[in-house]
Amino acid sequence: MSDVPDRSFDYDYDGIQEYDNPLPRWWVYLFIGTIIFAAVYYPYYHFGSGKLPSQQWAEDMEEWNRLHPPVPLPNEDELMPMSSDKGVLERGKGVFATRCVSCHGPDGGGQVGPNLTDDYAIHGYSRANIVKVVNDGVAAKGMIAWGPQLSREDVVAVGLYAYSLRGSKPANPKAPQGDPIR
Amino acid sequence: MTQVTVRYDDAIVRRFALATLVWGVVGMLAGLWLALELASPSLNLGIPQIQFGRLRPLHTNAVIFAFVGNGMFAGIYYSTQRLLKARMFSDMLSKAHFWGWQLIIVSAALTLPMGVTSAKEYAELEWPIDIAIALVWVVFAINLFGTLAKRREKHLYVAVWFYIASVVTVAMLHIFNSLAIPVSIFKSYSVYAGAQDALVQWWYGHNAVAFFLTTPFLGLMYYFMPKAAKRPVYSYRLSIIHFWALVFLYIWAGPHHLLNSAMPDWAQSMGTVFSIMLLAPSWGGMINGLLTLRGAWDKLRTDPILKFFVVALTFYGMSTFEGPMMSLKSVNALSHFTNWTIAHAHAGGLGWNGFFIFGMLYWLMPRLWRTQLHSQALATAHFWLGLLGIAAYVLSMWAAGISEGLMWKEFDADGRLVYSAWAEMVPPLAAMYWVRVLGGAMFISGLLVMVWNLYKTWQSRGTVADETVEIEVADKPAEATSSVDWHHRLEGRPLAFTLGVTVAVAAGGLFEIIPSMAIKSNIPTIAAVRPYTPLELAGRDVYVSEGCVNCHSQMVRPFREETLRYGEYSKAGEYVFDRPFLWGSRRLGPDLQRVGGKYPDLWHYNHMLDPQSMSPGSLMPSYRHLFDEELVLDDIEKKVAIFHDTFDAPYTAYELDHTEILARAQAGQIADGLVQQGLPDVRTKKIVALIAYLQRLGTDIRAAAATETAG
Repeated sequence: MSDVPDRSFDYDYDGIQEYDNPLPRWWVYLFIGTIIFAAVYYPYYHFGSGKLPSQQWAEDMEEWNRLHPPVPLPNEDELMPMSSDKGVLERGKGVFATRCVSCHGPDGGGQVGPNLTDDYAIHGYSRANIVKVVNDGVAAKGMIAWGPQLSREDVVAVGLYAYSLRGSKPANPKAPQGDPIR
Repeated sequence: MTQVTVRYDDAIVRRFALATLVWGVVGMLAGLWLALELASPSLNLGIPQIQFGRLRPLHTNAVIFAFVGNGMFAGIYYSTQRLLKARMFSDMLSKAHFWGWQLIIVSAALTLPMGVTSAKEYAELEWPIDIAIALVWVVFAINLFGTLAKRREKHLYVAVWFYIASVVTVAMLHIFNSLAIPVSIFKSYSVYAGAQDALVQWWYGHNAVAFFLTTPFLGLMYYFMPKAAKRPVYSYRLSIIHFWALVFLYIWAGPHHLLNSAMPDWAQSMGTVFSIMLLAPSWGGMINGLLTLRGAWDKLRTDPILKFFVVALTFYGMSTFEGPMMSLKSVNALSHFTNWTIAHAHAGGLGWNGFFIFGMLYWLMPRLWRTQLHSQALATAHFWLGLLGIAAYVLSMWAAGISEGLMWKEFDADGRLVYSAWAEMVPPLAAMYWVRVLGGAMFISGLLVMVWNLYKTWQSRGTVADETVEIEVADKPAEATSSVDWHHRLEGRPLAFTLGVTVAVAAGGLFEIIPSMAIKSNIPTIAAVRPYTPLELAGRDVYVSEGCVNCHSQMVRPFREETLRYGEYSKAGEYVFDRPFLWGSRRLGPDLQRVGGKYPDLWHYNHMLDPQSMSPGSLMPSYRHLFDEELVLDDIEKKVAIFHDTFDAPYTAYELDHTEILARAQAGQIADGLVQQGLPDVRTKKIVALIAYLQRLGTDIRAAAATETAG
């Protein structure tokens, strides 16, 4: 550490002696360095151009919204041909099995959420309405908005799969909710 | 020169040492069981008392206050008497300290699994036990300062400086953080609310790490390291500078536990800069210890005690480097709420405190029993088992923590969260949880090897008696000859020294806490935020009691991924009726601040009964017992009255007069809805209160937004 020979004091504590060595230089520089860091860091965030968490968040969200502008959901006419596409329905079935069964039951007969197979609907039985409910959710009734979580393809596929369930025969159908489908 | 015969009290040291071993095994086994519950959730066995939320505080309290605490007291009682050349002030106080402390530990072990908790981390014990802790600590303080008063060594050695700082500061932290208004013998409400409670709690929590796990152990290091190495301490001047820098700077760093939260930004940045400035003062202790070994490094090859000490100091140095790095807001954005924090805590806990205590006991016990250690080879085996155990533990939890942090933030090309369902992030961690179990099991195996080794050592004990020494007391003590004479003179005046320490440790707390209490702009009021209804308040108490806060945060941070996952980020004004605050420090499950209204009551009913039915792959245990246990509302009127009378919560006269009726009515409403959907009637069960609370969480701010839009 240093070339100066250790100098100890002429007293001891229970046999323990102490050297009178100087502070290691690198340690002193480290300490001074951290103090300089502190003296720069705090003003940078509070009086300078540093962004506080909430400011950074606002910028991030602006950027995110710019990169991912809302794309309108397909309308009934666009959805119609897709709902007879076997590939789309298979895909929808897969999404349904992982995301929807906990509330709507394995066969769509309803449990926490409404029965999807009967002749009643809460938000209108049409392809576009169902896809919209899947995408935007219904906060008041606890339906999750899947738009931010699933890809648009998955949202459409699972919506169309749910649409296709009407008329199937679930094992334990839940009592009807909503209005009769006309 | 006068000859004096001094007989040291070694019986008290043996008692504390034995308690260290017993509680070490208990506390670490609890930790191992918790690790197993995360690797294999079925191991919670459906027993509420050992579910993660209730067992976790038992583990942390047992290892910190029982294992490390007793180890600290053993070392302090041994070294203080010898450094001051005096028997402890009072044998009766020593015994009161020992038995009082053990009684507190037993009462903690009985109440925490029963769900009696204040939910404040490392300060979970309820108010009667808190009072007992304060009293026992005062006993310890009187005993220590009494010994200082009758000392036969004029000047205080650096170890004693650290003991003084620890005793003074822990008393201050414990008393101010535990202030609460009792409801009953087992329940109280913090006198602080929301963001203020958070600030006081982490002023306490961070400095419990500082003044319970760090400064006392630096003091012990300054005694046992030079003793074991038979070498002088490297630098007296370094001792002085790093001691004062450490005790002054540590206090300010508490807010680094609340970075990117709803804490005022100025306090967060204070936490960051003071954490960075702590690096060098912390390392001062490490290098003073390690450099004490200069010229004796060869002993490291053969002496297991020095092996333990050197590794302990190395982990101390590593943790005190990692801590400041985690205090940078950008690093914290990745590490916080993840298992990285758990890795950090265990590098310090197992590596620094654990290994130091092991080394100390291997040095101490044969001396106390007037014999030789039974087996050096077994001690060396313990060393390697423990070291590999720590490595497995820390590496796996670093990997798990970084994985979690990255998964939480991962977006696909379309700007959607890749892991949108929480349970999807559970399977990638499973392997790391098993490696952690392995690491923990190795560490505990090492401890058991030590218990066996010390048992065999005890069997070969000599005539065990208090050590008696002849001391020559100079009539006029030698004056200082060092390069820092002024400090040497201070070391001869314990009262002035203690006063200096008190001023140094009080400064940071006063500067940070008083403004946040006094200046209203720190917590902007949100008009729509209303007190909890009586039933929601009862449900919140259930949430506290079950230890939900140990896995779920209530703090949405201002990050893109969090606002997309959970909803609007949290504001300090939302928490003004939260006593205690429940922001949490770790997410084993998702944040719950915006869970209110997200799911129907029926979803919560099913989820609490069988979490996997609603969230396949979830680690959460079933809370079946909440469906059986009666919702007791006998004290709800008193609780609401305390919030109104003492905490100024704006309940109406009608609400105050009809508390239980209102609670029963709300319970009936929720239960009716569930009955209509074909479920059993739970209007009189605890679950209904919990559902009411969960459905309320974070909704006031939404009501505020709706009103604004409408207006």
